Amino acid sequence: MKRLKDAVDRVDLNRFRFWLQLAMFALLVYGGYLAVDLGSRLPMFSCGFNEEGRAGVCYLLPLQHQLSRPWPQLFGIAGVSVLTGFGVFFLWFIVLNKGWCGYVCPLGTIQDWITALRRRLGARYSRYTQGQFRQLSRIKYLLLALMVLIPLGIGGGWFSRDMGTPFCLICPGRMILPMFTGDFSQFTIDFSSKTALVMTALGMGITGLFLAGAFVKKRFFCFFCPMSALHYLISKPALLKLKKDGDKCTRCGDCYTVCDMEIKEIADDIKTRDIMMDDCILCLKCVAACPEPGALKANFASVTFFESTEAGFIKRSQKGIGLEQPEH
Amino acid sequence: MNSPNTKTAIPYNRSRQAREAETMLDHITDDFDDNPAAMDYFYDLFRRAYCQGESLEREGVRVGTTCIHAPEELIYAMGATPVRLCNGSYHYDQIGADFMPAKSCSLVKATLGMLSSENVIPKVGKLDLIVNPTTCDQKKKASAMMVGMGHKVYNLELPPAKESEQARLYWQRSVREFVQQLRQITGKKLTRKNLMAAMARTSRAQAAFRTLHNFRRKAPSLVLGKDVFLVTNAYFFDDIERWTEAVEKLNAELAQRDQDGFCAAQKKAPRILFTGSPPIFPNLKLPLLIEESGGVVVADETCSANRMLYDMTAVDEWLVNDMVDSLANKYLKPCTCPIFTNSDDRLRRLVELAKSFAVDGVVYQAFSGCQVYEMEQKSVAETLNKAGIAMLYIETDYSPDDMGQLTTRIEAFLESLKTRKRNRT
Repeated sequence: MKRLKDAVDRVDLNRFRFWLQLAMFALLVYGGYLAVDLGSRLPMFSCGFNEEGRAGVCYLLPLQHQLSRPWPQLFGIAGVSVLTGFGVFFLWFIVLNKGWCGYVCPLGTIQDWITALRRRLGARYSRYTQGQFRQLSRIKYLLLALMVLIPLGIGGGWFSRDMGTPFCLICPGRMILPMFTGDFSQFTIDFSSKTALVMTALGMGITGLFLAGAFVKKRFFCFFCPMSALHYLISKPALLKLKKDGDKCTRCGDCYTVCDMEIKEIADDIKTRDIMMDDCILCLKCVAACPEPGALKANFASVTFFESTEAGFIKRSQKGIGLEQPEH
Repeated sequence: MNSPNTKTAIPYNRSRQAREAETMLDHITDDFDDNPAAMDYFYDLFRRAYCQGESLEREGVRVGTTCIHAPEELIYAMGATPVRLCNGSYHYDQIGADFMPAKSCSLVKATLGMLSSENVIPKVGKLDLIVNPTTCDQKKKASAMMVGMGHKVYNLELPPAKESEQARLYWQRSVREFVQQLRQITGKKLTRKNLMAAMARTSRAQAAFRTLHNFRRKAPSLVLGKDVFLVTNAYFFDDIERWTEAVEKLNAELAQRDQDGFCAAQKKAPRILFTGSPPIFPNLKLPLLIEESGGVVVADETCSANRMLYDMTAVDEWLVNDMVDSLANKYLKPCTCPIFTNSDDRLRRLVELAKSFAVDGVVYQAFSGCQVYEMEQKSVAETLNKAGIAMLYIETDYSPDDMGQLTTRIEAFLESLKTRKRNRT
């Protein structure tokens, strides 16, 4: 048992993550061909517009659909289906918490691939300043609010039906993910109405921004993701947890250095035990980059399955430098 | 008192300066039984460097550093060799008194004294550059004096606080500028390859240090603190690869000792955490006194040992830019030096070390005139007191005059720790 634990703590996390993400990507983007269907309440961007290949559908699509029903229906019997839908989504979510973002979300994986491409080209990434970060960090809540309010407004008769599923219209996943199964039909601007024109053009622009942004900034889109905001709001009872023991932390900032989401609290906050912040994607890179035994831990249902260790840190960093660990 | 500056015809190894080192080294080796065999490398190294004045000159560009904040990986990467100039010799302390006010830190005075001398011990050769991180006031002001002695000095600008994002970015820029300075001096470019090779060497040395550090958790102790201070002191000037191999050998021997159930000190010897001003050879008088009086130094929080080697660099992307920024990060963020505005990290580190090394008491050394350590004394004492850990505060300098008085105080402190322990059980 101890040997298994040591082996896990010494894992080459980046490599493990790469393969797991690849497998998850293949499953979610092509699983449909093998008749895999995980339902339409999935807590990440397994895009519903990828109609042939998808192995399940991102919950945001049905959620916006449901919310845009006429109010008498929505606040009547149809309300039950909204609640049960949310219930199923919630059950999926609590298993992995934000691990869905760091390990499963195909759109997240694509950003990591773009990052890998940039790294190969030897270009450096950019970072936000703290001020920018604080401002940008709020956008995802705004998008979440709009994503709920606009469909409700449609149901109430205030907005045009062309605004239906407003977030999907501007989500880069709608254009990019179907592309992987040869479907480029989403790359169009809909001229049928003024609203449709504006929304699809906006979507096109955001997709361009997504590709360019991910090239200069790690996990560029995740800062703005309303799914991420929704996750955080309901993350309390989740099973997968990121824990920090502030007493063991030297505040060396190694975790912050490797954090794709530039979360400063991971290094500086020594009081909060549940250290998962709203931008976190639970990629666990911070745990792998922490040299202090037990300072950072990943728990599943209160059982620690991966924690920072000195031996793990040394093994990983020396592998990074290209130095094999000498035997002691 | 003889003028320490006299240039007489006597050979170095018979000078007062050599005798100061020799006396200390004799105490370290002869006053204890069962020194680890692997320590012979270090005893021999110090005997050659300090007692016989043997040359340790390196090929190529030589860069002196006056503080742990100068990133050695960058210096190595550009093909230069760093040598830490912080000095522990009373002989040089007296010479350095000419430069600094009477009430100033022995370490700074000794470093200046050494740099002003013609025959520098340890003999590291002519320095092409001295990197002087702008840490405490005394080191800052020492910069101009070093220039006055004819040295080329580069002031590496360190922020006065380390928590804020501004400080981090400011320091990253300082370090990048330092790279430019090194480039001018060495005529070499920092590349991914040479920086990775340099980081690999330092990383291996740090891994060896951490293994040694972890062996000191064992109770009863496998190794004495006076030996570990000597080991980390050697890192100041020794060839890094040879040093690492010697430490790895020592670790292997300690692993064997661990298996054999060997005790380097008495089972009931009070376990001491050493903090404050750094013990630097030949000024190991305080750790030595503790261990001669029956205590054992099991851990330290000083910039001549733990603080210098413990914290390791994490890099996300192995590209030059990211590597340099990550290095900068390591040299600033975890540092527990009292020059920073906030002492929280130091307090937390001390409590954590005291707990994880099952320490019975803390000895806090402050060199008279080192204001920052003197000023932090009170808060450290209070914090440790709250955590139920006894602390002895000692203000001293390089002079051997207070040895008698110190012995009495240390013996009393160790005795009180033993009593405390007995009463508890």
